[in-house]
Amino acid sequence: MNRNNIWVHIILAIVLIGLAAVAGQIARWVSKDRAMEVSKPNSKVAPKPVAVPRSVNEREAEVLVKFKSNVSLTEINKIAAKNNDRIEDEIETVRGLVAIDDLDNASAEKIAEQYSQMSDLVEYAEPNLEIKLDPTQTVSPRELFDRSELLTEAPNDPMFNDQWALNNVGQNGGKQKADIGALQAWTKTKGTKKVVVAVLDTGVDYTHNDLLTNMWIRPDNVPAYKDNQLGTINDRNGFNSDDNLSDPMDENGHGTHCAGVIGAEGNNNEGIAGINWEVEIMALKFLGRSGSGTTKNAIEAINYAIDRKRNGVNIRVISASWGSTAKSKALEDAIRAAGAEGILFIAAAGNDATDNDKRPHYPSNYKLPNVISVAATDRNDNLASFSNWGVKTVHIAAPGKDIQSTWLKDSYREASGTSMATPQVSGVAALILSTDPRMSVEKVRDRLLKSVDKIDSLNGKVETGGRLNAAKAIGN
Amino acid sequence: MSFSQESAVKRAKTDLAHRLRVAENDIQLASVTEKDFPNGSLGAQTKGEMAMQMISSGWQIDLKANGKNYEYRADKYQIRLRDFNGKNYIIES
Repeated sequence: MNRNNIWVHIILAIVLIGLAAVAGQIARWVSKDRAMEVSKPNSKVAPKPVAVPRSVNEREAEVLVKFKSNVSLTEINKIAAKNNDRIEDEIETVRGLVAIDDLDNASAEKIAEQYSQMSDLVEYAEPNLEIKLDPTQTVSPRELFDRSELLTEAPNDPMFNDQWALNNVGQNGGKQKADIGALQAWTKTKGTKKVVVAVLDTGVDYTHNDLLTNMWIRPDNVPAYKDNQLGTINDRNGFNSDDNLSDPMDENGHGTHCAGVIGAEGNNNEGIAGINWEVEIMALKFLGRSGSGTTKNAIEAINYAIDRKRNGVNIRVISASWGSTAKSKALEDAIRAAGAEGILFIAAAGNDATDNDKRPHYPSNYKLPNVISVAATDRNDNLASFSNWGVKTVHIAAPGKDIQSTWLKDSYREASGTSMATPQVSGVAALILSTDPRMSVEKVRDRLLKSVDKIDSLNGKVETGGRLNAAKAIGN
Repeated sequence: MSFSQESAVKRAKTDLAHRLRVAENDIQLASVTEKDFPNGSLGAQTKGEMAMQMISSGWQIDLKANGKNYEYRADKYQIRLRDFNGKNYIIES
């Protein structure tokens, strides 16, 4: 089989069988595939794809002919030879389907008509279609992606329009495309439950309707957590080092908000869509009802996550929307230990509108290979007025102002802060990992940081000079 | 405990009276302002404390006693005293 054409033929064969499609329909499908191919980030200019019959200005005419099942390949070859045609390709997955080249310079339409008339032998015949790129039109890769047929349709979650961070169409005075490109990303992946993201925070309202299906529950084959001091803890829903009662239920709302950004169930006709429509969110509570907690409790919760990882739970990300200006070597060591277990630690840069290069903020400032420090942007791609920055110490920016997400007791609300920017990065990290749940920390980190959209307002403010882009991060 | 603006002011006055060893009547309320604070510790973190990095709405309560100003910060879950002799204090949480 001609390798150059095999995929085109297989796709066309499936279309022909399934739908007995008309030529225009096939063209639409093929055009979609090709358009996606040309719109990879390296493409500088991507002409508009249009479908034309291959015979218009190409070599030999090519026709797809489906012979009846009682016609053997030998007979098909004889029929083709008699018409001075050549069997260019046999589509093995579809019995009787062949691609025929005409050697007489006739048009594909004419040949298709000729074969169609052999109604005792042929089920159908139609011109093959090839996608031609119209060189008169120049379209940027981003514009190409924005064509509706190339994007996942917006999910049916009723508040999706408020989620400018995922799809900014200029709502409420925002700037179009000042978003993470979620619709594009979702054409490739919408997440997986094979990846666990630990939300180390005020806990999570794990009964929230929009989170329920994506909450981690300790599987039966993972033993209950044992602590030398506290004994065996029933960690069915996660862990709580704030009061060691083992229930990580959120009493504040902050952790629930972060969890929703990462993984509120998508397309469920409810509330919002998370960056991951499917994921496992592990609730780790160390911040109390007021939203603050101790370094020691943070470390205990990290240790819990490490223990669960060693017991087979695929925790790949800890999302840390908190911090302080106080440095702790013990916390740094705990985060380093998490990194050694293959866990990314994504941390908020802080909300003091100060330079972290000069006035460090922790844990975001720990120079560890598994730490990513996150600043916040607004709906116009500006650094949010409250956000810390630091060209040496803050790695990336992400949407963090007026972010709609889940709140306590099945409610929703908008919130602002580098707290809200952090789970955007954690969510995209999980999305990357959904394509390879065992991908190394180094590679995921690299993907996140090297795929940013460079933004003028972030130049000299964060190390990458850019804002998170989910679509580019997953290589779409 | 869940605070309203009124109950937060009352609690702040009680705390300051206790610290300064004066009668509550000697403490004046200079102003109460609704305010957005930078984080979960209302911008008044104590040593070793970690706080959520979400803009948090609350009240700044400015009290006066003996000719000096004292700043409390509160929201529905907590009351803090900011920069009292160079330190921040959690009054109730």
